[in-house]
Amino acid sequence: MLTSSNTAVPLRDTAQPLLELSNVEVVYDRVFLAIKGVSLKIEQGQMIALLGSNGAGKSTTLKSISGLLAPERGLVTRGNLWFKGQDMLPLTPPKRVAAGLVHVLEGRRIFEHLTPEDNLLAAFPLRGSRQRYQELREQVFTYFPRLKERARTKSGYLSGGEQQMLAIGRALMTEPDLIMLDEPSLGLSPLLVQEIFEIIRKINEEQGMSVLLVEQNATAALAVVDYAYLLENGHVVMSGEAAVLRENPDVQEFYLGGAGKVDYLNVKHYRRRKRWLA
Amino acid sequence: MDFQFLIELTINGALTGLMYSLVALGIVLIYKSSGVPNLAQGAMVMIAAYLVWIFAGLLGTPILVALFMALVGMFLFGMLTERFLLRKMVGQPIIMVVMLTLGLESLLRGIGPGLLGAAPKSLDLGLDMMPIIIGDVFINREYLVGGLIGAAMVGLSLLFFRTRLGTKLRAVSDNHISSWSVGISVERAVAISWGLAGISAVAAGAMWGSVQGVDWTLTALLFPAVAVVILGGLDSIYGVLIAGLIVGILGSVIPGYVDPLVGGGTRDVVTSLIILLTIMFRPHGIFGREDIERV
Repeated sequence: MLTSSNTAVPLRDTAQPLLELSNVEVVYDRVFLAIKGVSLKIEQGQMIALLGSNGAGKSTTLKSISGLLAPERGLVTRGNLWFKGQDMLPLTPPKRVAAGLVHVLEGRRIFEHLTPEDNLLAAFPLRGSRQRYQELREQVFTYFPRLKERARTKSGYLSGGEQQMLAIGRALMTEPDLIMLDEPSLGLSPLLVQEIFEIIRKINEEQGMSVLLVEQNATAALAVVDYAYLLENGHVVMSGEAAVLRENPDVQEFYLGGAGKVDYLNVKHYRRRKRWLA
Repeated sequence: MDFQFLIELTINGALTGLMYSLVALGIVLIYKSSGVPNLAQGAMVMIAAYLVWIFAGLLGTPILVALFMALVGMFLFGMLTERFLLRKMVGQPIIMVVMLTLGLESLLRGIGPGLLGAAPKSLDLGLDMMPIIIGDVFINREYLVGGLIGAAMVGLSLLFFRTRLGTKLRAVSDNHISSWSVGISVERAVAISWGLAGISAVAAGAMWGSVQGVDWTLTALLFPAVAVVILGGLDSIYGVLIAGLIVGILGSVIPGYVDPLVGGGTRDVVTSLIILLTIMFRPHGIFGREDIERV
C-alpha cells in the first residue's frame, strides 16, 4: 500500500487524539460491506479532510462516527470508535452530540418549514441557558451574516449556499468539539465553496474546533485542511499532510485533474485499480 | 325563512365544531411532532372518558381531582403507546404506521366496553344543564363550555409550539434524521407528542362524555375529527380551530334545513363531502404546509 509519508500526525499536548477510529467496518442490510476497516485520527484543533470518489465510503465513515447508520440499516460490525477517550459505539446519536461531536449531513437537510432562527433554536440543548443561546446565535450570525438578514423566512426558501450556512450554523449551536461536514460544496458555485471553506477554517482557528471535512472536491479541500485521508472502495489508501498530498503525483492524477488525461476512462480506472485496489 | 333558527344552528354548530377541534387537536399534535397520522385518537378520547368516569363516577373522587388523575393517566398511556408500539415502527413505510394506529383504535374500542360493560355511563362534570337564552336563541351550556375549552386548548398548543421544546418537536416533524444529527432525541419527542395527545383526549373525552354519555360511540368522533384535520391541514393548529368551526357550522346548518326533508342523517354526508372535496381540491388543507419547491 502506498502511504505518502510516515510522518505521524503532529501530537499536541493531549496524550490521546480527540477522535480515533480503528479498523471500523460497516455493513448495510447485513450483507453489503461498505467500509472495510477504516482507521483515522483527529487531534484537538485539527482540520482534516476525508477525500475519495463516489461510493468510496466517506459518508458511511461519518455516519459510523455520528451514529446515523441505524436509520439506513447500517451497523458497525467491527472496530473501535473513541472520542475523548470514550467509547462511542454504544451511544445513541443524541448522546454523541452531547459528548461533543456533530455531523452536518450531506445535502444540507435543514428544517425546511422552520425559520433559520427556529432551526438554530431547535439544535440548542433543552437545558442550556437563554443567555448562552443568544450568545451562540449571535456568533452564528457573525460568521454567516446572510442568515441574520433572512432569519425570519422559511428556511426551505433560502438559496443553496444559505442553506449550507444554516446547516453549519445549526450544528454550531450544539457547541461541538468536532464538527463533521459531509460535502458542503455540493451544488454550490466555486466562489461560494471558497467562501464557506474560509469560514469553516476561521471557525476552526478561532474556536479551536476540530473539523472533519468530507469532500469529492479535493482541490478546494486540500487548500484549507492540515491533513487528509484518501478513501477508495472502503479502504484508506493514503494519508498525509495536505501540502504533501497536493504534490503527490497519484493524488494529482486522480483527484486534482493533473497528468494522464488522455484516454481518461480506461487508463485512470486501470491504474487506480492496479495501484490501490488490487 | 326563520332567521333566528339559522343563528341558533350556527352558534350551536360552531360550539360543536370547537368540540370536534378538541378531538382533532390530538391528531394534529402527533402529526405535527412526528409525522404520524394517528387514527386511534377516537379511541383515546373514549379511554380518557372511561378513565374520568372510573375516577369520578365509580370511585367518587371530586371531579377536578378525577380530571387531573385522568390527565396523568392519559399522558402515560400516550407515552407507553409510543414506547411499545410506535417505536418498533421507525423506518417502516407510513402505511404500516397508519394500519397500526387503526389496529390500536379497534383494540381499544373493544377493550373499554369489554371490561366496563357496554351500557352508556353518565358522566357528570357538575355543569349547569340549563340552556343559556339570548333573545330567542337557545345555547347549550355544555357545548359552550366545551367550545371554550376547545378554543383554550388550541391557544395553549399554539403557545407550546413556540417554546424551546415545541420548536424541537416541530423540527422532529420536519426531518427525523436531521433532528438526530443535532442531538434531538426523536423518540422522546414523539413520546411527548403522544403524551400531549393523551392530555387533549381527556379534555375531549370529559366534554363529549358529559354530552352524550360514556360508551364506545365516543370513538365515532374520529370521523368529524378527521374531517377537521383534513380541511384545516394535518399540521396546522390554527387549522384545527378554523376547520372545526367550519365543519361544526356546516354540519349543523345544512342538516337543520335538509334533515326534515330527507328524514335525517345528512350530517355525516356533509362531513364526508368536506373530506372528499378537500382532498380533491386542496389536498394539504386550508393551512397545511405544502412541500417547499425552490425555484
